Amino acid sequence: MIYEEKHVWSILLRLYHWSLVIALIALTVTGFYINAPWTQTTLEGTGLYPVQTMRNIHGLAGYLFTAAILARLFLLLFGNRQERIMSMLPLTRRNFRNMINAVRAYLYMHDDYTEVRLGHNILAGTSYILTFIIALFQITSGFYLRLPENTFWQNWGVTFFGNQQYARFIHHLLMWYFIIFTVVHLYLVIWNELKHRDGLISSILSGNKFRLRKLK
Amino acid sequence: MTDTAQSTDLKLQVDRRGFLKGCTMVAAALGISEAMIPKLVEAATSAQRPPVIWLHFQECTGCTESLLRASHPDIGRLILDIISLDYHETVMAAAGHQAEKSLHDTLDKYAGKFLCVVEGAIPTKDKGIYCKIAGRTAVDILAEVAPKAAAIIAIGSCATYGGIQAAEPNPTGAKGVQDLVSGTPVINIPGCPPNPISFMGTVLHYLTFNRLPVTDNLGRPLFAYGRRIHDHCERRAHFDEGRFAEEFGDFGHRNGYCLYKVGCKGPETFSNCPSARFNDVDVWPVSVGHGCIGCTEPNFWDTMTPFYERLPNVKIPGIGTVTDIDSAGKTILGVAAAAVGIHAAIGIGKKVIKGCGCKNETKES
Ligand code: SF4
Ligand code: SF4
Repeated sequence: MIYEEKHVWSILLRLYHWSLVIALIALTVTGFYINAPWTQTTLEGTGLYPVQTMRNIHGLAGYLFTAAILARLFLLLFGNRQERIMSMLPLTRRNFRNMINAVRAYLYMHDDYTEVRLGHNILAGTSYILTFIIALFQITSGFYLRLPENTFWQNWGVTFFGNQQYARFIHHLLMWYFIIFTVVHLYLVIWNELKHRDGLISSILSGNKFRLRKLK
Repeated sequence: MTDTAQSTDLKLQVDRRGFLKGCTMVAAALGISEAMIPKLVEAATSAQRPPVIWLHFQECTGCTESLLRASHPDIGRLILDIISLDYHETVMAAAGHQAEKSLHDTLDKYAGKFLCVVEGAIPTKDKGIYCKIAGRTAVDILAEVAPKAAAIIAIGSCATYGGIQAAEPNPTGAKGVQDLVSGTPVINIPGCPPNPISFMGTVLHYLTFNRLPVTDNLGRPLFAYGRRIHDHCERRAHFDEGRFAEEFGDFGHRNGYCLYKVGCKGPETFSNCPSARFNDVDVWPVSVGHGCIGCTEPNFWDTMTPFYERLPNVKIPGIGTVTDIDSAGKTILGVAAAAVGIHAAIGIGKKVIKGCGCKNETKES
């Protein structure tokens, strides 16, 4: 069998992916902490400022998250063929068929993808676009909470969430979306890797996937 | 009885010292320079007292009470002396037809010049029949008065955002003034009840500069509602240091630690409570050991409850189950994990039955 190596993911996309991983871990850990700070420094005058530190890390990670999402926005519009928005959504007939195909494959209704795509299958692509939109809401609520007196964020925050408490509530709910997304994402990546052996997992590090060369 | 008579007497004497003190306090609350105080005094004492019509709708009169009777006698008297309160159901001497006449006289005589203060929400359901005064609905009265007013001050959480009447399920369709009035400038002084100083500041600002103060996105004057309570709370150092009251009456509570974990809504609420404080004795809820409940925010009865928890509960539509956000999150995570497990098991099961379904190997053979 002859495999050829194909370039799939740009450096920016891989950087985006891993920045997001780091940001999400930091944000979730510090986020849980900020919601229910479990340390109690009954010793006064220690100057450790645990809550303040956690909030600072949360803010920093928030900026990393925002930068990553902005990079993804750029790639959605100007990235390579696999990274663009049009190859992720079921908007063409071909893409729509691919999505149905992927759903059936995930339901074990058939065993192989007849069409092996280099990029995301459309089901995955659509879920990433959904996640992208949710990330925008997360960023808006985050900045609304972080910079309460900034009129720009206040405008958006009041429009989408109403008062700060509701923004906090939705911010917290959406964090659970990212946790659950991560679990499902990891599982499906492993599942696909075992099924297709095209180097899916390593592609997010190396940028390349492997494809069976068609024998003519 | 005598007490009530005194506080409702419209011709109360205010001595000059007390009066100046009141003006200075308001100037401080407004954040305007000391040099402006004479102008403020002038505006407050000018012969041309602007007529004010004070409308009461769905409310408990708490806002009026806090304004008139609380320990701000100077300010309580000031408001009655600097404006001409032509119609105010709680304090006016007139009653019945006389009262209605005084309302209509003002409407005719001072059209476009009087200030309108609204206290209480306006029920809009079933043609507004849930609140009637002199046989007319609140909706009608507001619709008549509002276009003729120079400006409207909505006082209290009810008049601004609907208040408790508008809380789920809002049986009377109660709404705040800003949702019903267009064309006339409306300023919101939310709070349950609002600090009289925020109201006074707005009135004096209007008299001094002839326009309403700058507001935020929710129509609240920035001088009073421009800052988050949490960002100027005296317990903030305890918050940053991670020193919390875990429950009421515990070690942390007795030592004045931050009330975040017993549900303080200071981090979500914009108001001047920590700096303006209440009742001339320099207290506000957090200073006496109770968290803020967020009464100056829109729909606070729905969004700030439970008052002693950090976040609202999750209502699962259809089933009607109510649970806190993290147990809901954990449940969904559990379901997702179970789905993943089942999915994997089916895959493995199929392999065990069919043998390796590996595509590449099949192709090779
Ligand atoms: S805002 Fe609060 S105090 Fe004022 S009338 Fe309404 S319920 Fe009463
Ligand atoms: S008591 Fe409330 S407002 Fe004050 S620091 Fe704690 S959470 Fe913030």
